Amino acid sequence: MQQVAELNDCQLIEPIEADTLLLECGLDSLSYAMLVAQLEEDLGFDPFTDLVIDTYPSSFAEFLAIYQLCADKQ
Amino acid sequence: MQNLFNELTALKITGNVSDNCESKTVLEINRQALALRRANPQLRQQKIALPYDNIINFVTELVAFDGWCSAIYLCPPLVKIPENVLLWSKNDQIGADYCEETTGSFSYALTQTSWYLATSGTTGEPKWCEHSFASLSVGIKQSDKLQKLCWGLLYQPFRFAGLQVVLQALLSGAELIDASKGEPRAKLNILQGKSVSAISATPSLWRQLLMTKQLGSLTLKNLTLGGEIVDQVLLDNLKKLFPQAKLRHIYASTEAGLGFVVSDGQAGFPRKWLEQSTHLPVKLKVADNKHLLIKPRHGNAQTMLQIADGQGFIDTFDEVQVTDERVFFLGRATGVINVGGNKVYPEKVEQVLLQCPFIGQAKVYAKKSALMGELVVADVTVIEDANHYSVKQELLKICKTQLLRFEIPTKISIVDNIICEPTGKVNRKLQHG
Repeated sequence: MQQVAELNDCQLIEPIEADTLLLECGLDSLSYAMLVAQLEEDLGFDPFTDLVIDTYPSSFAEFLAIYQLCADKQ
Repeated sequence: MQNLFNELTALKITGNVSDNCESKTVLEINRQALALRRANPQLRQQKIALPYDNIINFVTELVAFDGWCSAIYLCPPLVKIPENVLLWSKNDQIGADYCEETTGSFSYALTQTSWYLATSGTTGEPKWCEHSFASLSVGIKQSDKLQKLCWGLLYQPFRFAGLQVVLQALLSGAELIDASKGEPRAKLNILQGKSVSAISATPSLWRQLLMTKQLGSLTLKNLTLGGEIVDQVLLDNLKKLFPQAKLRHIYASTEAGLGFVVSDGQAGFPRKWLEQSTHLPVKLKVADNKHLLIKPRHGNAQTMLQIADGQGFIDTFDEVQVTDERVFFLGRATGVINVGGNKVYPEKVEQVLLQCPFIGQAKVYAKKSALMGELVVADVTVIEDANHYSVKQELLKICKTQLLRFEIPTKISIVDNIICEPTGKVNRKLQHG
């Protein structure tokens, strides 16, 4: 996240907790799309494409849970 | 002659136009528009460019100058305007005060005004597309139900999609709230405060609004999606949140105007529309190369005549897949990348990357993104002995100074070679690795 924030001249808030809202972390929507693309490079999967997401993540914990769910299915 | 001022004057009920700070009735706007014409006789039959300031001034100027000037150019920020066009500035006006209410008779002959909208071109120079009030308002609907709506404007109003929202709200007598600036949560705060009941946005923006978990707090009756390919998951999500609302996705382009509206809750459009399209503003055809062709029933603008074939069909350069029941959109045949509704021309980004002295070749193409539709990625070859880390840093520096944020490649891969077509052009369909 820090890497994407620097790339986009964004400032991450501190600390980011489980219930911190994604859109209040300091990254904007384009930055999140970049983060998902970067994580796909690193992890080899994109849960937003590989899974049928019925609700979009709102908090940091929900974002992580979607990745955990996808990793478990790999 | 049909023009915005006359149409608004003829309405029995008119709404308000507001932003976060100010609100004006359409009646007030009409009066100010008339005063603006009176104060600017020198602008009659002139071509003028309108820079965007705020929604109330923008609407006032549209009402004033449609029918008054021979052409109005709706300018995005920092756009280059044609040489023979006057740049409108409120400070230039002569005669009566802008805000003074017009009294007494004021006779004048109205003219047919061309409306020009900018779309980005391959070289970064804007391409101006000609429309008229009649062609822009062809898809506008009026009814008692529509009059009671409160529209949240999320698109920039000087773009085709935003202008459609503005005209729909004004001409149906509905309310119009500008929430086009800021990030999704800021937009939503404005929409919540003003009890907005109708929104038109790109699929990417709808996804972001869903991510706030606050979208359900609105009482939406009318949801419209456009500007990007619409997927079924998103349509299902929105239907679940607003089961009673009218959910529509629109196919339109700055060049050709409104294409058609799909309201059955399904992605793509019905295949039977290829044969039966009398109820649509366009005729549809799929070419052998799978491009969607459209023939507008309205509009004789010069721009369209230039790009239409012998039968009047325009190649949309949108690639489609035809199934038994449905026609689905696959993407742009030209390689144009759509980042959350913003067009990115790969050629333009490649030209910027190639300014780096360590770069041999560059290929820019789209990467699918569930959040933004598509993202920009690039493959580059570097000259021998170049340090890969330094090259990437240098490229990023160049991109940041010359490209808009959504145009900057989200990933730059250094590759051994880039495959070219027999014509020598970069093959963007073959991706490395």
